[in-house]
Amino acid sequence: MNCPLESRENAGQLLDYCTRKLDPDVAAVLERHIAICPACREFADHQRAVWQALDAWEAEPVSADFNRRLYQRIDQQVSWWERLMQPLRPLTLRWNAAAAAAGVVVVMAAGLLLNPPPAGPTVANIPDTPQVESVQPEQVEHALDAMDTLAEFSHHVKDSADAKM
Amino acid sequence: MSERVKTDMGGATAALDLDAALMLRVKEGDGASFGVLLDKHRSSVVHFLFRMVQNHAVAEELAQEVFLRVYRSRGTYEPTAKFTTWLFRIATHLALNSLRDGKNERSQERLDDDTHDMPVRQVADIRPSAEQSMVYQAKLKEIRRAISALPDKQRAAVLMHKYEEMEYSQIAGVLSCSESAVKSLLFRAYETLRARLAHLA
Repeated sequence: MNCPLESRENAGQLLDYCTRKLDPDVAAVLERHIAICPACREFADHQRAVWQALDAWEAEPVSADFNRRLYQRIDQQVSWWERLMQPLRPLTLRWNAAAAAAGVVVVMAAGLLLNPPPAGPTVANIPDTPQVESVQPEQVEHALDAMDTLAEFSHHVKDSADAKM
Repeated sequence: MSERVKTDMGGATAALDLDAALMLRVKEGDGASFGVLLDKHRSSVVHFLFRMVQNHAVAEELAQEVFLRVYRSRGTYEPTAKFTTWLFRIATHLALNSLRDGKNERSQERLDDDTHDMPVRQVADIRPSAEQSMVYQAKLKEIRRAISALPDKQRAAVLMHKYEEMEYSQIAGVLSCSESAVKSLLFRAYETLRARLAHLA
């Protein structure tokens, strides 16, 4: 095989080999090359040394109260929002009431548009009302008397007119 | 990172990583799923940020901001990429901003005062000799200086490659560049590190 160090792209193979990320078959070919190539051997030795050195850099454990502090910040953010909205609450309540009233009006309007009220009642469909049932006999007599009076008055007017002619 | 589940989304079946599925539950108001994601990724995010800014307090503060942003973004979350790609994109963005703003100047000064932020060595080196301890501290200081001297993007790429064991494609997703650009970043970064650290082995 060609020396991987001849191009940066192939040198990446050497890097993968040192970090044990190379396919075993390709690694076997590369190992045979490394055995006879001093430059690649030096590269691999140095890379492994760097890898081992970096292993020595251990990170400190995470603080025991990390989660508690995080959840506290999450809660604070919620509280912060609530605090910000606190002075606006009466206003928002009024707005809410106004919005609710507007909503009711809109719903009623929509109801009227979708289900218009029936047209004025016709003679045929006027139901017998309780008022008719509750008419007293005296009222009927008064009405009949009034009609008789009107009829007599009409005759009287008619007779007067005939006499003048 | 390899766990994947099948989730039906609006008739189309999409393959999601488990974390993305958990994040979708967070989006639906499941706070417990956020806790699962936090427990799963807290350490890797803090450690990545610590190695980026080299100050533990700043790293934890930035990590808090990372998870806060994840939580705040839950309503608009869409699983267009791996969850960890998204997570580390936020973390890298915050770390790079912090480095640019010089918020970690204190930590850079503290590289000289190297008794802080050093991990407490564990089982294998209980009671190291004074000489061993000095050698270890000197080695660590050199490693931190070498990493710190890398350009920001190279540093982020190396840390994700070495410590988070991310694939080139995922690092490319985090850094919003091509895979070949990532390979190039890593090659140059390791070239610098070989020159500075190879003698430590």
